[in-house]
Amino acid sequence: MQSSQPVKPLVRLSAVWKRFGRLDVLKGIDLDVSDGATVAIIGPSGSGKSTLVRCLNHLEPIQDGTIDIDGFLITPRGVEKNGRLLPQREVAKFRTLLGMVFQQFNLFPHLTVLGNIIEAPTGVLGRDRAEVTDEAMDLLAKVNLGDKANTYPAQLSGGQQQRAAIVRSLIMHPKIMLFDEPTSALDPELIGEVLKVIGDLAIKGRTSIIVTHELAFARDIASKIAFMDAGLIIEEGPPDKLLTSPKLDRTRAFIARIR
Amino acid sequence: MSFGRFYRLIADNADVICFGIWVTVQLAIISMLIAVVVGLIACLGSLSRARILRFPSMLFVEFGRNTPILVQLIWVHFAWPEILGIKFSAWTSAVIALSLQSSGYLAEEFRAGIESIDKGQIEASQALGMTYQRLMRRIVVPQALMRMIPGILNQFVTCFKSTSIVSVIAVPDLMYQAGLIVSMTFLPMPVYSFVALLYFLMVMMIALGVRFATRRLPQFGYFNQHHGRE
Repeated sequence: MQSSQPVKPLVRLSAVWKRFGRLDVLKGIDLDVSDGATVAIIGPSGSGKSTLVRCLNHLEPIQDGTIDIDGFLITPRGVEKNGRLLPQREVAKFRTLLGMVFQQFNLFPHLTVLGNIIEAPTGVLGRDRAEVTDEAMDLLAKVNLGDKANTYPAQLSGGQQQRAAIVRSLIMHPKIMLFDEPTSALDPELIGEVLKVIGDLAIKGRTSIIVTHELAFARDIASKIAFMDAGLIIEEGPPDKLLTSPKLDRTRAFIARIR
Repeated sequence: MSFGRFYRLIADNADVICFGIWVTVQLAIISMLIAVVVGLIACLGSLSRARILRFPSMLFVEFGRNTPILVQLIWVHFAWPEILGIKFSAWTSAVIALSLQSSGYLAEEFRAGIESIDKGQIEASQALGMTYQRLMRRIVVPQALMRMIPGILNQFVTCFKSTSIVSVIAVPDLMYQAGLIVSMTFLPMPVYSFVALLYFLMVMMIALGVRFATRRLPQFGYFNQHHGRE
């Protein structure tokens, strides 16, 4: 029992260690994300930011430490619940707790925008097709893609694809949203429309973890910013404090460089 | 040989030739249909993480690809009955041998197709809660199949040509029927020349169809997705 933290965080990483072969990518990450919070992770390329969020939904297994997510425990053995190691089928179910938006969008090119969006809610969750379609059309209208439902992804701009990908995640009603550099593959003039959708729709009332290089955006939306360098979170704090008066030289140098 | 005599020779034996064409076409289509299914299973087996599935699948694929079709045909027709204690008709042996070889090649084609699918597709599917079986069935295999269609059609052309070998175990395909006519008429030159022309025309037609179909395939505008990861 920790008296300083009466409410248990929704996500808690403890000494998470991740290795690719002989390369240590995460070297003991500790991070708490409380329910409803938005945490932005910033840091130089190769610092392990993407790997960190990919560990949260177990796309990447970890080699040491634990990640506690809403009663599930990710350990080097896999995903556990109440001390029981979950089989593949239940790990897949666990992943529906988290939505994920990728840098490269990763829409399914053989399905239309609508097909992309309703695939998982109907196939994985078994929801009614008509009802899911209604909700999809509703969400598409909210992200200004109401007229693109029957279009194939390749016919869309990067910004449109990413907005469709966000809808594809949101329709699963995840408790937590993960964003892995959602605007890094976009042309500069398309970044704004995606950030607006993330800020106005995706993270509203939802716990979110976002890896980003958009510091102004991070300042606007985040309740906490964590700065990563060489596999460690070396500084974290409220946006204003971290971005304007960082404690460490490394953080200050990074912020100065990216501005 | 005058054209009139040539025409009469063909016209008199038209039923024998047509039967041969029918057998050849049937053999090629049935063997290919079996080979597509068996090749896909062998491919998924050789991609499996379970060794008990992977090794037999890989052995099957390599055997199919690396033995001559004539050897396979003779082996299936004369050795299998003794090994398995069942007797097949020549027609069954022919289908088994032809599909054995084609499934080996198709399995490799399928594997290349599946491995060409961007890893991001698999990750996005997993992130949406799909199991391995579901993401293979709904996301990976449909995309891979689209890319494999040219390979499947080309293998069909190869398989069609390979069918001519089954005449050695007395399957009444076009080649075998030609031999029959020659043995009755003692006119090898016009008969075999005509049969060669028939094979040429049929294979050309299929190949042109393949080229046409491949060009008209919907591509969904596959774009290069490269992967930024840290």
